[in-house]
Amino acid sequence: MAFVNIQNLTYKYPLTKEPVLKNINLQVQEGEFVSVIGPNGAGKSTLCYALAGFVPHFFKGEISGEIEVDGKLSSKSTLDEWVLNVGLAFQNPFNQISGAKYTVFEEIAFGLENIGVPRDEMKKRVEDAMSLTGISELADRSPYSLSGGQQQRVALTSILVMRPSLLVLDEPTSQMDPIGTREVFGVVRKMAEEGMTVMMVEHKVEWIANFADRVIALKDGQILLEGKPNEVLTSDVLVEHGFGVSRYTSTAREAKQRGLWKKNNLPVTLDEAVQGFKP
Amino acid sequence: MNINIKDLYFTYPTGLEALKGINLTIESGEQVAIVGQNGAGKTTLARHFNGLLKPTSGSVSIGDWETTKYSTAKLASRVGYVFQNPDEQLFSRDVRTEVSFGPKNLGYSKEKIDELVKRALSLTELNGKTETNPYDLSPAWRKMVALASIIAMDTPIIIFDEPTTGQDALNVGRIARVIAELRHEGKTVITITHDIDFCAENFDRVIALAKGQVLLDGMTKDVLGEEETLAQTYVDPPQLTRLGKALGLKDTVTTQEEFLKAIMWG
Amino acid sequence: MHERLSFHIKRDSFLHRLNPLTKLALTLALILLAFTFPWYWMPHLLALAAIIPLSLLGKVFREFMLTALRLIIPAAGFLFLMQAFFQPVGADVIFQFYFLDMTSESVLFAFRNAMRIVVMVSAFTLFLLTTHPSELMSDLTRRGLPGQFSYVIISTLQILPQMQTKAQTIISAQRSRGLDTESSFLKRAGSLIPLIGPLVFGSLVEVEERAIAIEARGFTSKHAKTSLHEIPDPAFDKSLRWVLFALIIASIGLNIWLS
Repeated sequence: MAFVNIQNLTYKYPLTKEPVLKNINLQVQEGEFVSVIGPNGAGKSTLCYALAGFVPHFFKGEISGEIEVDGKLSSKSTLDEWVLNVGLAFQNPFNQISGAKYTVFEEIAFGLENIGVPRDEMKKRVEDAMSLTGISELADRSPYSLSGGQQQRVALTSILVMRPSLLVLDEPTSQMDPIGTREVFGVVRKMAEEGMTVMMVEHKVEWIANFADRVIALKDGQILLEGKPNEVLTSDVLVEHGFGVSRYTSTAREAKQRGLWKKNNLPVTLDEAVQGFKP
Repeated sequence: MNINIKDLYFTYPTGLEALKGINLTIESGEQVAIVGQNGAGKTTLARHFNGLLKPTSGSVSIGDWETTKYSTAKLASRVGYVFQNPDEQLFSRDVRTEVSFGPKNLGYSKEKIDELVKRALSLTELNGKTETNPYDLSPAWRKMVALASIIAMDTPIIIFDEPTTGQDALNVGRIARVIAELRHEGKTVITITHDIDFCAENFDRVIALAKGQVLLDGMTKDVLGEEETLAQTYVDPPQLTRLGKALGLKDTVTTQEEFLKAIMWG
Repeated sequence: MHERLSFHIKRDSFLHRLNPLTKLALTLALILLAFTFPWYWMPHLLALAAIIPLSLLGKVFREFMLTALRLIIPAAGFLFLMQAFFQPVGADVIFQFYFLDMTSESVLFAFRNAMRIVVMVSAFTLFLLTTHPSELMSDLTRRGLPGQFSYVIISTLQILPQMQTKAQTIISAQRSRGLDTESSFLKRAGSLIPLIGPLVFGSLVEVEERAIAIEARGFTSKHAKTSLHEIPDPAFDKSLRWVLFALIIASIGLNIWLS
């Protein structure tokens, strides 16, 4: 039995005319790191909200189908129970700052206070989570004084500290520089190795190819492609549908036409490109 | 219309020294990308171009206008500035009204406004959406409305602040086409960006800032090839440049065509 | 850029270490004594013999005096003049300004009222200077104040400066589109819609996202909440609160008895 099991999920927001998700079927195994790609408006964020329980519990609207995580059905749970098992961090870091706290340390402890974690354990968990994501030195800063990239790390840490069994991330690195991005992918990979199941929406295909177990390409509320990162990310179908692809892929595709790329598979990462182009 | 920056220093009221001695000339019709890590001073510098910030010392001139002597509203006739977040500027009930706001402020005649708005809307591929409320559009299209609202002002200089952040491949393509068209019309385009591949493919000149100073300034290919210097301001070279280096190519390559030519001829 | 809206000065002092509720009780006691104690010089005595020593005890004398000079004394001075001139009591005119009379009775009356205001604002200032808002709220929540209530208070304190920053960005964006916000009043009034529209829309989006973000972190969880900071409430604090309570009752009692 899969850890995450989505069956025939169709969903429409109260104010939209068309469904945003159309008949989604998706299974994810425990400890798997799945990445979701897709153009703007494909339904990526809505899928995140659905896994995290906010669709339909928070947004209302019309839903059909079932979402099951760790043997529990979303339709039979309340939101406050559901979020204990499924953590969500989304794109805009500024709006994820609770506003209730004056320092980063307090901000990260906020969730643990809400679920009644004893004080000593709370401090330990906050410290561990901060050192994991590399923000220990920000502990006493005001969350509002940080850069966008730093705030994104705080948002991620604030959810990791709750130790959800499923981690849902919606473009968690959009405001980070290359180094920050690399570190976040590393942390997420590590959490997956330790058994956390991860669903991450991202644009940065080179990093996805380096770190994710599986890629799902979403378009117009439907799953267009699904499979191993290299398979999905080099597919010709993506280009036709306006997905972003790695420059290594597009260049090798052109090179192949000119007879300069001899391999069968196209590259996504620098290493793959170097291997293929090496004389 | 040239931009001349002489010994520009800028210190925020908090005491943060954001710019420390910038000297630059940007010629009419140049396509310039400004890169560098967060806090390097990119936005602070760009906000001097239309007088949103005034130098603590030194000077910034747009043509024969020194920015300290003109208000931002006045400088808006020479410099258009597209802010990063469209939601911090859109307020009208439909796209056409929104896009007309800038040219109206600049006092053009009605005929001229109609013509400028029409051109801006078609350049940004918004033709079918002119009567829509901007807030009924997706964030990607709101971004295009923000672009159109500045392009319609027909300024000789246009500044884009992080145009590709949060945009998908389709919209990045649209934005690149807009910039190409502005280049064709002879406008000066200055873009602040983190997106180094976008920078490599669309700009002739790159200025890398680090800690409030110019770290590198030159032709795109020359600047983006300086991997070690760029690392000081946390910028990775473009993907193809890195690939070219890894393969031991003699010259720095930044675009697909350059790369393919280089491997073809070894 | 403003980071937050708080007057709190982080120091280690007797006053800082008091339980927030004790400090609140102390503040109230000072105010009520100044207003109810039936002795003319009580507010003056409190200002000199309680407020100033407390500011020294709390190691915030310099910050306190700055606020006093900039804000409290000018405001109280203004109040004094208004009352001294406009209070229609007494016949002993000591000063005339056109048709306005200042009598010795109205001066005394105004002086006491001004000093009461000085004590009230000073007591609050000292409270704010030595009490961290989140400490106060944690303590009050622990004592039974609903969590939602303290959340609203604290987040409002924090979000106001952020709104100001955002408003500044919007103004910059519209000025870049040629909007003239620097000239005549009429023009500025006309420029309100382009400024307020994005601010309101942005706030709506923000409120929704923030609601999701705090919900995702168990804000409405039915578990009993815990608190990161332990806020001590030793026996000394409890006794002090009883003493202050007794003083307040005595002062009000005396006031009623003598009237």
